[in-house]
Amino acid sequence: MATTRSLARLATRRLAMRPAVFARGFASVQTSTAKEPLPDKDAKIKTFHIYRWNPDEPESKPRMQSYTLDLNKTGPMMLDALIRIKNEMDPTLTFRRSCREGICGSCAMNIDGVNTLACLCRIPTETTKESRIYPLPHMYIVKDLVPDMTLFYKQYRSIKPYLQRDTPPPDGREYRQSKEERKKLDGLYECILCACCSTSCPSYWWNQEEYLGPAVLLQSYRWLADSRDERTAERQDALNNSMSVYRCHTILNCSRTCPKGLNPALAIAEIKKSMAFT
Amino acid sequence: MASLLRPSILRPACPSSAASQRMLSTFTSSSVKRTSPFAQQLVRPAFERSTIPQPTRIAAFHATQKMQILPPLPQTIQGTLNDPVPVPEPSPTHGSYHWSFERVISAGLIPLTVAPFAAGSLNPVMDSALCALLVIHSHIGFEACIVDYFPTKRVPLVRKGCTWLLRIATVTLGVALYSFETNDVGITEAITKLWKA
Repeated sequence: MATTRSLARLATRRLAMRPAVFARGFASVQTSTAKEPLPDKDAKIKTFHIYRWNPDEPESKPRMQSYTLDLNKTGPMMLDALIRIKNEMDPTLTFRRSCREGICGSCAMNIDGVNTLACLCRIPTETTKESRIYPLPHMYIVKDLVPDMTLFYKQYRSIKPYLQRDTPPPDGREYRQSKEERKKLDGLYECILCACCSTSCPSYWWNQEEYLGPAVLLQSYRWLADSRDERTAERQDALNNSMSVYRCHTILNCSRTCPKGLNPALAIAEIKKSMAFT
Repeated sequence: MASLLRPSILRPACPSSAASQRMLSTFTSSSVKRTSPFAQQLVRPAFERSTIPQPTRIAAFHATQKMQILPPLPQTIQGTLNDPVPVPEPSPTHGSYHWSFERVISAGLIPLTVAPFAAGSLNPVMDSALCALLVIHSHIGFEACIVDYFPTKRVPLVRKGCTWLLRIATVTLGVALYSFETNDVGITEAITKLWKA
């Protein structure tokens, strides 16, 4: 009995000594709040928590910074909010953006737990709920919301994303396709390589160095499925090992998160199917 | 203005192979001179003072628990930025053959699991086939977990140890099922008895 009691006391003491860090799951620390400049009477104030990390101060850890914005003065999309924060409140906030209409794929980030393009993501209008913006998960961060995409692009380069042919076109002018053959490329060519799907894939989180990831595999299938390409066998050989494709366990996060509504999981399944029993 | 502030090393247009060994997110403070006269002059002081509050308290950012399992290593990039990642040698035994074999085993388990109970009769051949497929199926399943969670590059010894542990476990399971089939009632009969108990 006495042993049990002392054990229990030990346990409680250990619990009491445990730092608050253990109780927290995901990052919830806010260090400072930047307020909306000159708010109106009927302002719709919404809070945004944004991941901040500055490479110029490598000794300081990443932190969350809060910004409050009046939604009446802000555009409808998350990117509008970010641009407004950068223009009017905090010029040090760093993020990539270019086209603001979902065709360049620069502004891919993790918004309220979902990888998406900030320019295609509406700001939820309930002001009671606070939005959290992180960079793409499991990527090396250059600054704030800017991930380092070097490995992703190097992987894309490794699948040789261009037409490979040895024979000249029969009519000497162009490589022709039937309508059915062209139709196979629908849902593949639209990919903008924003890396939302790859960085949502747990397999890619674990084995980024060897597994190619959904985005690159979708692009790979785009060239495997192309009727004009003549190196299908070589392309398949390059994928035929334990790591490049077969780390996909059909988790389907990729299809769920794709901001363009594509289906990378289907493309990977087609790759596996075309290579099976051969 | 802003481009003047930006350290010129952040995005080299065409880096040499030596420079690209150190990647962007692995910079140390010594490589970026923050106290250059440029930086001191070009920061907009009035703007900063009026709108950006000083951090009220310094708190660390923790994405996960303090005791992290396999925290990420500093980033290393092989070759230059413009090289593709190395393409591994084709090995169908670990790739497409393995995958096809795995699917055939999984698909074969379904009729073998259902048939003895649907037919209501016991057949030692079917029983042993079910056992064999179960052993292979579980081996492949656990092997996939080991390959996923213990990358050879990161934890080579743990990977090796786990693989051997799995092999020992698989052999033990095989021997156990064999003796259960030969000396006892067999797996189908045992499940039937457990179900009706």
